[in-house]
Amino acid sequence: MNLEQQIKDAMQQVAELSDCQLIEPIEANTLLLECGLDSLGYAMLVAQLEEDLGFDPFTELAIETYPSTFAEFLAIYQQCKSNQ
Amino acid sequence: MTNLISQLKKLETSGVIRTSAQKSSITDLITKAYRIRSRTPQLAAKKVAILPGPLEDLVVNLLAFDGFCEAIYLCPANTTVPPVEGIHLWPLVSEASTDIKSPAISKQTTWYIPTSGTTGKPKWFGHTLEALTANIKHSTNLQKLTWGLLYQPFRFAGLQVLLQALLSTADLVDVTGLEPIKQVELMALHQVTAVSATPSLWRQLLMTQQLDTLPLRHITLGGEIAEQVLLTQLSRLFPKAKLRHIYASTEAGVGFVVADGQAGFPTKWLDNPSSPIELDISEKQHLLVKPKCSVESDAPLLLNSTGFMDTQDRIEIIGDRVFFLGRATGAINVGGNKVYPEKVEQVLLSCDAISQARVYAKKSAMMGELVAADVVLLSDPLIMSSDPLIMSSDLSTIKLQILKECKKQLQRFEIPTKISFVDNVSYNPSGKLNRQSNGKQHD
Repeated sequence: MNLEQQIKDAMQQVAELSDCQLIEPIEANTLLLECGLDSLGYAMLVAQLEEDLGFDPFTELAIETYPSTFAEFLAIYQQCKSNQ
Repeated sequence: MTNLISQLKKLETSGVIRTSAQKSSITDLITKAYRIRSRTPQLAAKKVAILPGPLEDLVVNLLAFDGFCEAIYLCPANTTVPPVEGIHLWPLVSEASTDIKSPAISKQTTWYIPTSGTTGKPKWFGHTLEALTANIKHSTNLQKLTWGLLYQPFRFAGLQVLLQALLSTADLVDVTGLEPIKQVELMALHQVTAVSATPSLWRQLLMTQQLDTLPLRHITLGGEIAEQVLLTQLSRLFPKAKLRHIYASTEAGVGFVVADGQAGFPTKWLDNPSSPIELDISEKQHLLVKPKCSVESDAPLLLNSTGFMDTQDRIEIIGDRVFFLGRATGAINVGGNKVYPEKVEQVLLSCDAISQARVYAKKSAMMGELVAADVVLLSDPLIMSSDPLIMSSDLSTIKLQILKECKKQLQRFEIPTKISFVDNVSYNPSGKLNRQSNGKQHD
C-alpha cells in the first residue's frame, strides 16, 4: 500500500473513533483543518501512523511549521520515510 | 473588596463583547444585571449555580450575583451541579415567590470554579473576587486591546481572560465553540490584539496558517508546559508582541508569569523569600509553592513544615533555568485536558480480555501529551473459551474491541492512542504501577 493510502486509511480509522465525518474527496490542496478532524484528531492520526509506519516525523524532524494542506502533511511523511 | 458591578460602574469607559452573532456593550449588561437583582430578591445571600449559557448571559449573571449572593458556582457544560444544600440553579427552573422586602445581601461572594478530579468527579475551589483579579493589570495600553476568548469562560483560565477584559475596559471577542479557521477569521475581522490559549490551542491556530492576519500584541500561553519551539515560533511570527507563559496552581491559588520568551523560569526564583510568590524545589524534584490563604476547598492543603505545598509538578534545573517535566502523579495533559491514568486503567480492566493495565503519557508534537497504555491479556483458558474477544487471535481485532469499550466510557482525549500488548506491567518497589517507563512490548 502506498503512503498516501496508508495515511487516508489511518484518517478514516481516527474519524470513526472520534465520531467525525471525513470530507470526500481529500485532495492535495484540501486544508487539514477542513478535512473533518480537529487538532486532537491529528494528534491521534500521528500516533496511529507511528504505530503503522514506525516513525513520527513531527518528533524526528523537529518540525516547526505545522502543515496546512494534505499535500504538505503527506510530504512530511515522504521526507521522513526516505530518511529512514 | 468592591464587587464587580461597582468596579465596572466606576470605570470611565467600558468595552464591548462580541460573538459571531451579536455585540453587547458592558453598560447594557450592567443594566440587565440590576434588573435581575431587583426581580430575584429571593437569591440575596443565597448560593447560586450558574448553568452553561451564552457569554453575555454569564457576564450579566456574574455582575448581578457578585456582591449579592453568598456564593456563585460556575457550572461548565458536562459538569454536575455541586451537591450543596440550599443551592439555587440559574436560570431559575420555577419562579419562586418574590415578595421579599429589602433582603440582606452578601457583601463578599465566593466564586466556586470546578477542576477535574481523579475520579472524574469535579472538585470545587472557592475564590474571592480579589484573589481572582489579583493579577489583572490596568493601563491605557491595555484598554485599547481586543481580547479573543478561546477558553471556556466557566473555567479558571477563561474567567481570567473575561475579568481581564472587563476590568481593563478592553473589548472581548468570543470564539469558543468555533472551528479554528473560523476562530481566526472572526478574530481577524474584529482585529483581536490579545490572545490567551494553551500551547495546543496555539499550535492549532498556527495550523490555519492565517494567524499572521491578526495584529497580535499580547500572547499568553498557559495550562500546559510551554515548549521553546512554540515560543520561538510565536515570537518569530509576532516579533513586537509581548510573549508570556503562565504557571498556575489552582489548588494553591497562586501563579506566576514568565515574560522573557524562554521556556521554564529563572533558577534564581527558587528559594527567594523576597519574591511575591515563594517557590522551592523538593528532594523529589517537585516544585513547591507557598499558597495564598484565599482559597477555600473541601480538601485541606497539605503543607510541609515551612508552609510550602507540593504542586506535584516535576522540575529540572539546567544552569540558570528551571524546566517543567510533567506531573509526578502521572496525570497526563492532553492539550490542557487533564487525564488521570487510574480512570483509564479502570476502564481497560473492565474489558474481559485484560488482566493488567498501565496508562502513561506519550509525547505528542501537537497536543503536548497523549494517552498510551500497556495491557496484559488474560491467558486463563476458561475465560478464553467463553470470551469472544479472546477467541480471535488477531491482536488488532482485540485492540479495536478495547477501543470501542473505551469510547463508550471515556471522553475522546482520554482514549489511549497507543495500546501495546505486554507480558507484564512494571511495578515500583512500593508495589505501585511504574508509570515512568514503558514495559516490554510484543505486537
